[in-house]
Parts: sequence; structure tokens; C-alpha cells
Amino acid sequence: MDGGISETRPKWRKVAYGGMQPGFDDNHTDDLFLEDMVMNANVVKSELLKVMQDSVSISQYLCIVTLVGLVWTYTLQSNLDENSLLLLDATLLGLGFLVLLLTEEMLSLNQLTYYILNIAFFATGLYVLAPIYQTLTRSISSDSIWAVTVSLIILHLFLHDYSGSTVRASGALKVPNLTSFVSLNASIVASVFVASRLPSRLHVYAVMLFSLQVFLFAPFVTYCIKKYSSRLHLMVSFVLMAATLALLYRLHPQLFVLFLGLLVFVSVVCPYWLIRIQEYKFEINGPWDEAKLCFNITD
Amino acid sequence: MANQKHRILMVSDFFYPNFGGVENHIYYLSQCLLKLGHKVVVVTHAYGNRSGVRYMTGGLKVYYIPWRPFIMQNTLPTLYGTLPIIRTILIREKISLVHGHQAFSTLCHETLMHARTMGYKVVFTDHSLYGFADIGSIHMNKVLQFTLADVSQAICVSHTSKENTVLRSGVPPEKVFVIPNAVDTTMFKPASERPGGSEIVIVVISRLVFRKGADLLVEVIPEVCDLFPNVRFVIGGDGPKRVRLEEMREKHSLQDRVEMLGAVPHSHVRSVLISGHIFLNSSLTEAFCIAILEAASCGLLTVSTRVGGVPEVLPEDMAVLAKPDPGDMVQAIRKAISLLPKIDPQVMHERMRKLYDWRDVAKRTEIVYDRAMKCPNQSLLERLSRYLTCGAWAGKLFCLVMIIDYLFCCLLQLWQPAEDIDEVPDVAGWNRQEGDDFRSFSEN
Repeated sequence: MDGGISETRPKWRKVAYGGMQPGFDDNHTDDLFLEDMVMNANVVKSELLKVMQDSVSISQYLCIVTLVGLVWTYTLQSNLDENSLLLLDATLLGLGFLVLLLTEEMLSLNQLTYYILNIAFFATGLYVLAPIYQTLTRSISSDSIWAVTVSLIILHLFLHDYSGSTVRASGALKVPNLTSFVSLNASIVASVFVASRLPSRLHVYAVMLFSLQVFLFAPFVTYCIKKYSSRLHLMVSFVLMAATLALLYRLHPQLFVLFLGLLVFVSVVCPYWLIRIQEYKFEINGPWDEAKLCFNITD
Repeated sequence: MANQKHRILMVSDFFYPNFGGVENHIYYLSQCLLKLGHKVVVVTHAYGNRSGVRYMTGGLKVYYIPWRPFIMQNTLPTLYGTLPIIRTILIREKISLVHGHQAFSTLCHETLMHARTMGYKVVFTDHSLYGFADIGSIHMNKVLQFTLADVSQAICVSHTSKENTVLRSGVPPEKVFVIPNAVDTTMFKPASERPGGSEIVIVVISRLVFRKGADLLVEVIPEVCDLFPNVRFVIGGDGPKRVRLEEMREKHSLQDRVEMLGAVPHSHVRSVLISGHIFLNSSLTEAFCIAILEAASCGLLTVSTRVGGVPEVLPEDMAVLAKPDPGDMVQAIRKAISLLPKIDPQVMHERMRKLYDWRDVAKRTEIVYDRAMKCPNQSLLERLSRYLTCGAWAGKLFCLVMIIDYLFCCLLQLWQPAEDIDEVPDVAGWNRQEGDDFRSFSEN
């Protein structure tokens, strides 16, 4: 092809109208091809330290669930009597409210009475239902109960919403999704199963109240702490980790090693892994993408 | 070689009595190919009690194969379930080339696979755009990659669509042709007299869904009504977002200025269009947008979002484009209103007649068919090696699917040899009718 021809040749345009462009086949691929493609425009480089800090929420919740498991074990071994359990319940409730009062500036007297009324209803209902829970699984062997409980707790941990809380403060923006409800229900069923193995009604009541308090409200309380100050959040998490590890060591050194390994995996190995696989991330954007609306749709 | 007559099988899940861009495309392309002397047969799935063989205008034969659609007018993907009937149709009609339409038609993908197994040349037209991020798109793109790994030639409806298809499926760009849709300008003529008065009517005709930008309309309409007291809106179409539009109408008390027509049958689209001055398209994604062509052909000035292939559709002076953002859209409408006195619908219509013609589309598609027929025949092993390059796991899976299809095909050949299948005699004279009249789309 000599220069003279290419000069007289009309320029190819990226248009669809006007039929076939003279001098060009329909499968002509111009230099302009894919010029509007953007690669990896929105990829955020994450830092190891930041990811590790974020992973603390997961470790913290793992500790909370392990502590619940420990309380269950001690109760089943009759190391904890019902009175100390009830004392524990009351302390936790008081602590929870204290945290809410200190962190939530929006908490009014009205809301507080609303919470207290609800919890009173809840506690009474549970007390009435305790005899039913006690005999609920009498015909089922203990082995099956343990197996199901462990699987339910694992399911709970897998589906748990670590970034927010299922029980939310009024006016919170994020709507909890289906998996977090499944997760919450799994934990509640697990507590019922454990409670049904206990010797007396008061035991059942105390353990149920304890488990429900933790599973329902602990994510909410930790969420409030995290929102209030990330430093406090880290401190609380480390205290919880230390307490859990100490109690586990007293129960069984092997469990201690296992849990320590899990914590290291969650807060060191996984973040490192995530950073490593970041480089395989490949995002393509271009004019074919669905346009994003720049305003909120309020249905 | 250029005058070689093809025997073409068009296949898609989407065909009349359904309505839309793909359905229109297949119908008009088939009609024009018939006029050029090719034989065209359409295969689609049964619609309601419309099952079996039907003839449409110009002797266009349509097979409504008795498979029920299960979701969004798609047949249930069974991989091999359609092989016997497709094989029979291919042999009966002495087909030389198979042309599939639309990337989310399962019938199209299955038929193209069977046709390749039986050694036919295949052409595929992609009518839509897809992203790369969500799970649905990732799976769809893999299926497209499977089909396109072995097509002889592919067609896209706009340059943006071509870029998208090449990225999604990894086919070499020189195998992909860009042949746009067209519009039947005889059907979309402007009114002999433009609606007079000082009033300006803005027409919207689209399904009222998220992807068509119904939420943008909710923001734009009150603002425009506020700015221009002489503007009135006519909205044709139905969908889940209709409630939001009606809420908007009530909230701003615009009942007398925003008319909602509900779903508009295709035969009434022109009468709605010619009652207005400006056509507003608010799509968030669009490969081509035939609605704009129809509006322009009726002499309306178009205001549209600048998304996908839309900027390629009309010359700059025939449409005002804006970012998909309410403020910019209002500015575009303001500009369109100021341009309006200079627009002559008749002139616009004449320009459209020169820019878009289905006969031109058919001629360009004919070239693609000729190219496809020149592609060398390949043995099964050669073709399998192409599938293997599609991915570590997917490649092997694709190969397995093709091998089973081949074995199934051999089995059918033993059970019902091709020689035993009757061939349909060609009815001569069908396509001898004169004139350009292919309007009777719904006569059947």
C-alpha cells in the first residue's frame, strides 16, 4: 500500500450509521479499538497492617464464642452453679448497658426504658419456657446433641456478619441480610440444645439467658465500641483474647495451642494471603458497563 | 462466488410473537435475505399454543419447536435435548449455514453446538452488552466463550458491542463484524403535520425497569416540568418501576403534565411517537437502541444518555447526548428544546432513510455468510484443541461436552440415517413479490 492511496482514503469513524464505510470492511479493527477500556481503575491497594487491624473483629468474635463454649462446658461439668451463672448474666447485662450508655450519645431515657421493658419481657418469657427446653431433647442421645451443637456453632461462625450487628440500633442504615439471620438462629438452636442437657430448670434458664444475651447483643455492643473508638476496640479484643487463652489453658493445653493457632491464622496468615493474591486482581471497565446512578434510590 | 445462494437457519429463543430488538432484527433480516434469493428458515421455541410450523410474510418458514420456555422466554438448558429435532430440521431443510442470535438464548447456543458437531458453518450475532464483575456475567461470558470458540464468523450490532464481545470471549477481532440494526422507515413516517401550539411534548417509550433508567426519569421529569411550563411528558411502557413514576407524578402534582400510557403495542408505537417533539431515552446500558432509530425516523429529536453503543447510532446533529446524571440530562433537554425550531421532521426522516436500511444490513450480512462458507472444514480433533485453550477447567469440560455431542450425533445417525429423512421441496415463487412491503409482521 503506497502513501498516495492512504491519503485520499476517508478516515474510519466509530459510527454505526450510514451503511458500510467506504474502503473498510465490516470487520475492520481500527487503532481506536478498545481505547476506552480502563483496567483496574477502582482497585484499592490494601496494606497489611490495615487488613490485620480489620481481622481483629473476627478474632474478637471467635473469642466471644469460645468463651460461651467454656461457660457451657463448666456448667455441664457442674463447676459453675446456677447462682454464679445468674450473677454472670446480671453483670453482663449491666456491663452491656454501661457500654451503650457511654458510647451511644443518642441514647435517651425513652429508649432506655424501651430497652429495659423489652429485656424484662424477654427474661420472663424465657423463665416460663425453661421447663420445656429442659425436656425438649430427652429422647435424643447426648452424642448427637454435641455433634449438632458443634456443627451449628461452626455454621454460625461462617455466616456471622462480622462487619455489623444483626440486632441494630434504631435508625441504623444497614439492613441485615438473610445469612446473618441464619447465623443467629443457628447459634440460638445450639444454645437450646446445650441447655436441654442441664440438670435443673434454673440452670437451663441461666444458661439460656447467658447464651442469648451474648449471641444477640455481643455483636451489637462490640459494634458500638468499634464505632466509638478503634483503640478501645483493639484493647477490648486483646483483653478478650488473653482471657480466652488463659481459660482454655486451664481447661486443656492442647485446646490452648489449637486456639492460638487459629488466632494466628486469622489475624496474620489470612491478611498476608489476601495481600499476596491482590496482584491477581484484574478489573475491566469500559463504555459497555451499566452506568452507575449518582443519587440514592429511595423505594 | 458473490452470487452464491445460501440456505440459512436463523435460530433464537426470541422471535415473534415476542417483541423486541432481537425479534425485529431476525424478522427484517430474514425478509431481506429472502428478497436477495436466499432460503431462510427460523427456529424458535413454542409460544403458548403456537407450536409447529408456520409461514410468515414472503414465505418465511418458522419452526416453533415444542419446548416450553422456563425463564425469561428461555428454554431449559439441557445441552443435548434439542439435538434430534435440530438435526432433523437441518437435514430436512438442506441447510448450508446456521445463524444464531443473542447471547442469552439457550436454544441458540445449543443449536450452534449441534450444527458445529454436524459440520455446518455457523455465524453468531451478539445483541447485548455484559459487564465482567458479577457472578451472572462471569458465567454468561464462559458460555459465550464456549460458543464463540468455534463459530465461523461473529456479528455485533455496534462497535462498543464488538469491543465487549472480543473481551468477553477472546475471539480474534478480525472474526467479528459490526453490522448495526436498521429501522423500517416506511413504517415510521413522521406525521404530515407536526403537533402545533406552544406546547412541547417529550415522549418516553421503554420498559420501566432499572436498566432502562426509570430512576433517572423520576429525577429528571419534575425538574424539567419546573423549568419549562410548556413541556408535557408522554410515557409509554410498563414495568416494576412504574409505581415510582406514578408516585413522582403525585408528589409533584403533575397529573395533567405527565401522561402514563402503560404498555404500548408495537403497532401503536408510531402513533405515540408522532404526538411528540422530543424523544427521551434514559437507558443505563444499551448495545444499540432501536427505539432511538424509530423516534428519529418519525422526525423526533432524540435526547439520550451517553452509554454503550448509543453515541454511534445517530450523527451528532440529530441527537443530544448527556451523562447518565439528572443535572446533565436536564441541560440536554434544555439544549434540545432550543434546537427544536430548526428541526424539520420530514428532513430528518429523509436522512434516516439514507442512513439505515434493512436491505443494506442484509447485503452486509451476506458478505459475512460468504466469508463463513469459505472457512476450511475442520476435523473434530482440530476443533477440540480450540476448546482446550478456553481455560484450565472449562476447556476440558467444553471438550467433554463436545465429544458427548459427537457420540450422540453418531448414535442418531445409526438410529435414523440422514438418507431416511425427507427433504422439503423448495416452493418456487415465494419471493417473487414486488415492492418493499414487509410490514405485515403480525398477519400470521
